[in-house]
Amino acid sequence: MSWKHRISAAAALVLAAVTAAGAQDGREVFPFPVTTFELDNGLKVVGVDYDSPGIIAYYTVVRTGSRNEVEPGFSGYAHFFEHMMFRGTEKYPTDAYNAVVKRIGADSNAFTTSDWTTYYIVASSDALETIMDLESDRFRNLQYSEDDFRTEAGAILGEYNLNFSNPVSLLRERLHDLAYTTHPYKHTTIGLLEDIREMPNHYDYSLQFYDRYYRPENCIVVVVGDFDQDELERLAAEYYGGWERGSFEPEIPQEPPQTEARSARITWPNPTLPFLMMGYHAPAFSDQRIDMPALDVLSQLLFSETSPLFRKLYLEEQVVDALQGGALDSRDSPLFTIIARITDPTRIEYVRDAVIDEIERLKTEPVDEEVLAATKSHMRYGFAMGLDNPGGIARTLGHYLQLTEDPATVNRVYELYDAVSPEDVMMVADAYFADTNRTVVILTQEEGQ
Amino acid sequence: MTALAGGREIAPAASMRRIAAGGGSGPAVVLGVVFTVLAGVAAAGCGASGSSAEGSGVVALATPNSPLVTLRIGFRTGSVDDPAGKNGLNALTALTMGRGGTEALSFQEITEALYPWSASIRAQADKEMTVLVGEVHRDHLEPFFAIVRDLVVAPRFDESDFVRNRDFLTNTVVSTLRGSDDEELGKEALNALLYAGHPYESPTVGTEEGLAALTLDDVRAFHREHYTRARALVGVAGGYPDGFVERVEQEILDRLPDAGGERAPLPAPRALDGRELLLVDKDAIATAISIGFPIDLTRAGDDFHALMVANSYFGEHRTFNGLLMNKMRGQRGLNYGDYSYIENFIQDGGSRLPIPNIPRGRQFFSIWIRPVPHHNAHFALRQAIRELHVLVDEGLSAEDFEATREFLLNYSKLYVQTTSRRLGYHMDSAVYGAGYFIDEIQRRLTALTVDDVNAAIRRHLQYDDLAIAVVTRDADAFRDALLAGEPSPATYNTAVTEEIQAEDALIEGFDLAINPERVRVVPVEEMFRAVTAG
Repeated sequence: MSWKHRISAAAALVLAAVTAAGAQDGREVFPFPVTTFELDNGLKVVGVDYDSPGIIAYYTVVRTGSRNEVEPGFSGYAHFFEHMMFRGTEKYPTDAYNAVVKRIGADSNAFTTSDWTTYYIVASSDALETIMDLESDRFRNLQYSEDDFRTEAGAILGEYNLNFSNPVSLLRERLHDLAYTTHPYKHTTIGLLEDIREMPNHYDYSLQFYDRYYRPENCIVVVVGDFDQDELERLAAEYYGGWERGSFEPEIPQEPPQTEARSARITWPNPTLPFLMMGYHAPAFSDQRIDMPALDVLSQLLFSETSPLFRKLYLEEQVVDALQGGALDSRDSPLFTIIARITDPTRIEYVRDAVIDEIERLKTEPVDEEVLAATKSHMRYGFAMGLDNPGGIARTLGHYLQLTEDPATVNRVYELYDAVSPEDVMMVADAYFADTNRTVVILTQEEGQ
Repeated sequence: MTALAGGREIAPAASMRRIAAGGGSGPAVVLGVVFTVLAGVAAAGCGASGSSAEGSGVVALATPNSPLVTLRIGFRTGSVDDPAGKNGLNALTALTMGRGGTEALSFQEITEALYPWSASIRAQADKEMTVLVGEVHRDHLEPFFAIVRDLVVAPRFDESDFVRNRDFLTNTVVSTLRGSDDEELGKEALNALLYAGHPYESPTVGTEEGLAALTLDDVRAFHREHYTRARALVGVAGGYPDGFVERVEQEILDRLPDAGGERAPLPAPRALDGRELLLVDKDAIATAISIGFPIDLTRAGDDFHALMVANSYFGEHRTFNGLLMNKMRGQRGLNYGDYSYIENFIQDGGSRLPIPNIPRGRQFFSIWIRPVPHHNAHFALRQAIRELHVLVDEGLSAEDFEATREFLLNYSKLYVQTTSRRLGYHMDSAVYGAGYFIDEIQRRLTALTVDDVNAAIRRHLQYDDLAIAVVTRDADAFRDALLAGEPSPATYNTAVTEEIQAEDALIEGFDLAINPERVRVVPVEEMFRAVTAG
């Protein structure tokens, strides 16, 4: 183990620390003791001491997602590969793997996003070694046949089909395709239908994908709950120590600045109210710059249930029955995305213009200090209240770890939130919400429906 | 295994937090929260019917170290109490409480009060139980409690809140359910077929005509008559201070009207007439299938835990433990997932566990086949029903029984990872008049034998009388194919093993034996317009 340190000495069960008062006296937003260590092969292991008697959450974070799908024709591969990770090894063929997971009564699954892929198991604490045996084995020794690979492609198509019975999936796919010209965020994580249909023919590519990304230096293990830290360190060395480091460096093409407004209209063949989706290119995640936290505050000022825009469109005029906006923490520049479901098909443009007008107002009118304080309080308490179970804590920390590999990031981000000023909000409103940076997609019900 | 293309659900309006459900490639708007929640709710006496006061009162669960406090203000009322022609009245009453004002504060004022605390209040309604769920950090418990209390005992029932919430429920039926979620549509279609003429028939959120008929006076009267002390079951959990439970009792329960304790007897659902088929015709991207039949068994029943083992073996929700999942998805890649249930099941957010507080006096067995490409839908339906035959006829082996029991003994402990969920399960056990659900699983499963399980299968499961709901494109042609009964071989991406080929030969010609007298094709626009009353 090449390095080891402990951060956050706060006592367990002190979520009360995550309060506005906590913010004022500088206490950290993440209240649980965290211990990190790194094996010589680059695998990082993060342990969080949390009071969940007899239960642990074991997350393996892979810093690879659909962002890494740079070759044309291979969209959706990060997600497809996530499925293949359940197809067994020589030591634990699929049935044997499933039998062990069943025996220990685990909640085991995985998910893929644009930036990361995560495999998780929540189970009894006494299963820790069994879990580490299973997980290290499939990360090091995955072995599946071409027939298995082709069969699993059917499940991917099934997942696409269930997602795309919802018009929002179509909207999102179109918005990203239109807003991006170059970066892989152009396609959604599930992938394009034509690529999904071709997946069965790309067995060799899947092996290459595994070889590239399922390497220790690209992964982080997060363990939360009731476990012994010394045992975790011993078992990590035993089960992961022999995992060979990789060398692949992905080249992610960067998106050039958008220089003109873009728009599209699409239709839906089944009954639906109209949807409006708008996107603005926003800054990539940083735990150093104020832009992203200021944008998060801005999203609250625009779209929270206390915002003037919400009050006008939802409560008073009732022209929308759903309104949401914001940007997700992302390795590269994401879209600040706004979506509204509109109750009156003749008011789509009205809603669009109302959103734009409100953004324009926030470019020049500083936010009231009391409103800003309430917003920051909301964000802190919201964070604290989500930390009420081992899986939720592991997922939250995993999210920040996939961005920077540093568990201290979460505290730094919330320090930045505390520092956001009215001027910062005006600055980001002005910097990122130019007309030329905007893409709009409108979805309406097909004529005749 | 999920591609989080955003992956988040929204309430009617909300700003987004950057972290959300683990990131994602864009914001997801599923328009689900209210619908998903409400889709699960209903009313009447669970386990029985009548005027028993069992399952009322206060359930308290102190966890002094926790900084969070949960309130679950439950009432044993739901869509079963909706008057004829006014389907959706309970859902709208609950929503207008949960997303409305109090006599003292408007909805907007409440929203502004809750915001800096990041506290939440949401309404969850099902067929026999409705709950207002409030969660807050204990720093703000006192003012939060006053708001929750007043929403229950002194709701504002403002005209504007009424209209907005009624329109939202209507949109949920006519837009979300019909046009945006084929899986939920399939499940609601199964419910409509299974419970035709029964108080369960309507979607919990109501019907298009039922919602249109509602007035604010209806809501006020419904609240007065059904949100009463005799029907109340209040749960409190978390790090609340000494004396708080007594205050809940005094300030909520003691201020509720005494009337309304009588709950109408809940009839048995109609007997199915062989294999009945409802096809919902729409421009669906794939075919969604739900299959089911009523069972006369709830958590209070002696066979429940034995059947729980059988069901877990056959189709545990979203795991590869289930036989259906292994054979249909794992071996054949037909779709994303295939599961079975012995209770109404609503998934709790992104987890794989059911939400609490949706107890029902009448339950049903169901099989959920997630969307299958149209060309394989006939095969998938045949396979699912054939597997049901095998389960009923052959039961579990001793080995399968042991493995499944061991799984459930461990897995059930994960049901209650949060205090709020634990509280919910305690309340449900009170409603059923049974011991605490999680403890009962430990106790009962330990004593079970494989013979108990197979006997329970024989007593409660069958394959002769099935309700089959299908959401598909060109439904007339699919109906004709199902009735004609010609072989329907599956199309695969790859060669399959000889073992699978041999089994497929049995499946592709399997006789579905659908009762041609009980087949209907309904355009999606006509679904949930009104209840059919038979």
